[in-house]
Amino acid sequence: MTRTLRTLTALIATLGLLAAACGGSDDAGGSDTKAAFVMVAPVGDAGWNFMHNEGRLAAEAATGVETAFVEAIPEGGAEFDTAVQQFIDDGYTVIFSTSFGYMDATEKFANENPDVVFEHISGFKMNDTNFGNTFGRMYQPRYIAGMAAGAATETNKIGYVAAFPIPEVIRGINAFTLGAQRVNPDVEVEVAWTATWFDPTVEGNTAQALLDAGADVLTMHQDSTATGQAATDAGATFIGYHSDMSSQVDAYLTAPVWDWGDRYADVINAAANGEYTPESWWGGMADGVVDIEIPTSSPVASEMQAVKDQIIAGEFDVFEGEILTQSGDVMVADGEKMDDGSMLGMSDFVAGVIGSTDG
Amino acid sequence: MLGWHLARREQPLRGGQTRAVATGMLLALVAGAFLLVLSGENPLDVYTTMADAAFGSSRGWSTTLGRAVPLGLAGLAVAVAGSMGLWNIGAEGQIIAGAIFGAWVARLLPDANGFVLITVMLIGSVLGGGLLALIPAITRARLGVNEIITTLMLNEIIIRVVRYLVNGPWKDPNSAGFPQAPPLPAQAALPTLFGRANIGVLIAAGVLAGFGFYASRSKWGYELRLAGSSEKTAEYAGISLRRKILTVLTLSGAIAGLAGGIELTGSSSRLVEGVANGWGFAGIIVAALALMRPSGVAAVAIAFGAVQVGGLAIQVSGVPASIANILQALILFGALIAGVFGQYRPVRTRTTSSVTAAAA
Repeated sequence: MTRTLRTLTALIATLGLLAAACGGSDDAGGSDTKAAFVMVAPVGDAGWNFMHNEGRLAAEAATGVETAFVEAIPEGGAEFDTAVQQFIDDGYTVIFSTSFGYMDATEKFANENPDVVFEHISGFKMNDTNFGNTFGRMYQPRYIAGMAAGAATETNKIGYVAAFPIPEVIRGINAFTLGAQRVNPDVEVEVAWTATWFDPTVEGNTAQALLDAGADVLTMHQDSTATGQAATDAGATFIGYHSDMSSQVDAYLTAPVWDWGDRYADVINAAANGEYTPESWWGGMADGVVDIEIPTSSPVASEMQAVKDQIIAGEFDVFEGEILTQSGDVMVADGEKMDDGSMLGMSDFVAGVIGSTDG
Repeated sequence: MLGWHLARREQPLRGGQTRAVATGMLLALVAGAFLLVLSGENPLDVYTTMADAAFGSSRGWSTTLGRAVPLGLAGLAVAVAGSMGLWNIGAEGQIIAGAIFGAWVARLLPDANGFVLITVMLIGSVLGGGLLALIPAITRARLGVNEIITTLMLNEIIIRVVRYLVNGPWKDPNSAGFPQAPPLPAQAALPTLFGRANIGVLIAAGVLAGFGFYASRSKWGYELRLAGSSEKTAEYAGISLRRKILTVLTLSGAIAGLAGGIELTGSSSRLVEGVANGWGFAGIIVAALALMRPSGVAAVAIAFGAVQVGGLAIQVSGVPASIANILQALILFGALIAGVFGQYRPVRTRTTSSVTAAAA
């Protein structure tokens, strides 16, 4: 039996030598700043994590700083601790944790490792020295996407496949609905919850249910393109989310998208220069972190472009009164603008949304 | 007809199960090496990184042992039921039930001192897991309802209960609307043992050692195995099967519940929907690798934990997650298959030619 063992060891060793001979060395010289990203699901080719990885690659190209990432790390589990500790041990000096549920654990690590910069995406915690948070005003392009949807629907019913009734998602649904109502006062947006961020089967079935209920335009707050497939199969129109899905979905019209590259590069550069100051950074279309491509085929393309320009110039706010809730109460009074705190805690639907925020 | 079939080894393999499993893992590493070379990685580097992360330092050990705690307790839960031929597929749900009860205690006694609070929380989690398992235990013992189905289905129910709690009555008002319970009181955190491991390691080690010893030495354990191998014999020997089923399944759930309590107080700091994190299902693999023997669970859990820690470490060092996951799966698969060959040997199916030919 020992002979077998010896043979096996020799085999492994040979393979190792072979690989060593084939592979070149990839030593990174220069700066000692290195940035690591922790992702909650596989990067894939669409969705939330895909766009964070695109941002990572863009930041790497812009800063010349070496980056690495781990994917499919569950929230609230020991995997996160293990991965982040490993990154720190390996000399990574900037850690981006890109899912809400990493917030508490990121805070703990930040307090234990004052020399490492931690930037958490989509949360609200921070400290005074090395822990900040970043998010984007996705409601701005959502509003413009809603305009395209409002103009495209003939049944005046738009279906919205959504993951969880948290403020981020509710805010997007409301902005989208307000945009749709701007160009089509009769439009209704029906929301169906999936209780999952990524499950193509559930997302597809939910989309089908909305189509069956009479929707002829679909959009979603999910991580797969399943809603788009269902729309394509039914001859409906699809408005995506996260990334440009035109090559994956035939029914694709446009999508509000993320573009994290510049923000990531800024954080990495600040950390490299010792100038990092934590903040709750909530960028909008003016900062480039969120965007939407105006579909030229839309009858309201020029109005969409005008709104986009206004938002970027700071001349238009999506949540400006008067806005009523589903139950007819005043959400934002006439002439007033909703403040960031209220937007971040948004928990009611605006009038015109069909569905419940109870999930 | 030429073929093979498996026959139970009359004499245990020299070196036993440990040796069989080690060989299986080694073969898996060789297969994995080919995979790594194909994807442009150096297998030696990758394996060194894995071993280093899991066992190369005190911090590595602490991470591995920290992993082994929920794996070991979930594995023990499944193995305790499995040693009398019962399948508890519901450890995942029982872990959640344990965490819910633990969190409930923390809500009721927010000002209790740390030792009292943690103790009562863990007792609560044991009760929670046990209570959830009591349902399939009663239906199996009294009505003969298949426990595989009931334990499995209860997972689905309890996950909806925890989802309801963190979206509704227990939702943290200070989490910007995100569905999670408020943080536990600071004194509810299990004290650190060393590195990243908390004293959950000691609790789990105590429970595992106690059960391993008791199950292999006591009359109770003997009756369990007897009932597992032959119900008729057990009944003939005067063992009440009903009562055995009832106690064993409930106990199994209680152990899984303890895992939930330790996860809650040890690593998650608040109740969230994903608190069980797949540990309960991983426990089935652990128990299978340990051949449903409580005494074998600890070693398997540590090895399993090490494979997970190593798999993560190579991802951190740049190996794609998909390759890292295939590698982990290969190692477990190799161990499982080898485990089977440790028990059974392949036998050439003799051409029954003389008989069949004659018949033809």
